[in-house]
Amino acid sequence: MNCYETLFVVKPTLTDEETAAQVAKVTAVLAKEGAELLATDDMGMRKLAYPVQKNERGYYTILFFKAEGSVINELERNLKINEDVIKFLTVKYSNTREIAQFDKLVAAANKNSEPEAEAKTEVEVEAVTESVEA
Amino acid sequence: MAERRKFKKRYCKYCEAKVDFIDYKDLAQLKFSLSERFKIMPRRLTGNCKKHQELVTVAIKRARQTALIPYIVDRKNVVESPFENVR
Repeated sequence: MNCYETLFVVKPTLTDEETAAQVAKVTAVLAKEGAELLATDDMGMRKLAYPVQKNERGYYTILFFKAEGSVINELERNLKINEDVIKFLTVKYSNTREIAQFDKLVAAANKNSEPEAEAKTEVEVEAVTESVEA
Repeated sequence: MAERRKFKKRYCKYCEAKVDFIDYKDLAQLKFSLSERFKIMPRRLTGNCKKHQELVTVAIKRARQTALIPYIVDRKNVVESPFENVR
């Protein structure tokens, strides 16, 4: 299992529900392929630095997940087919330094989305480190 | 030792901040290594060390791919406030 991060941009012309449906569609592909979704980070509607398919803005979503390499093929195939997705980028975190950073990013993403859950996990993390020290 | 150094000695800002990974989504961190036309600044001007320059380069290229920062800025392709998303 490798650590991956996928960023994709959904067209700005869709309504909120349609955008949410597109995000759900991508996460469904991951679930079907047996990937372990760790966190999602909604960057929301942003202005693009340059027009993409004549769109000036886009809805950014980032998914952090652990999966086998073959999952990426299937995921990217689906993103390419989907006409509402205008940009996507998958980054692999391979060496130990990058994986440490990956964990940090996942923690940050979870903190932003649900602050209460993060407080709980922090306690758990502390408990784990204590047990390691002991 | 008669010759005095004419310029301030440059140092790597990323080394000083003890950065060991540069995220392509963190535009505030990339901004330092970009010129006003969004070119990647050379090491001889920024003072970045080799290690961090390589990290920055990859991060900037990824940010360009995902339309977070522009590839080029010229008279035809003017960005009014490119860092308006950066808070």
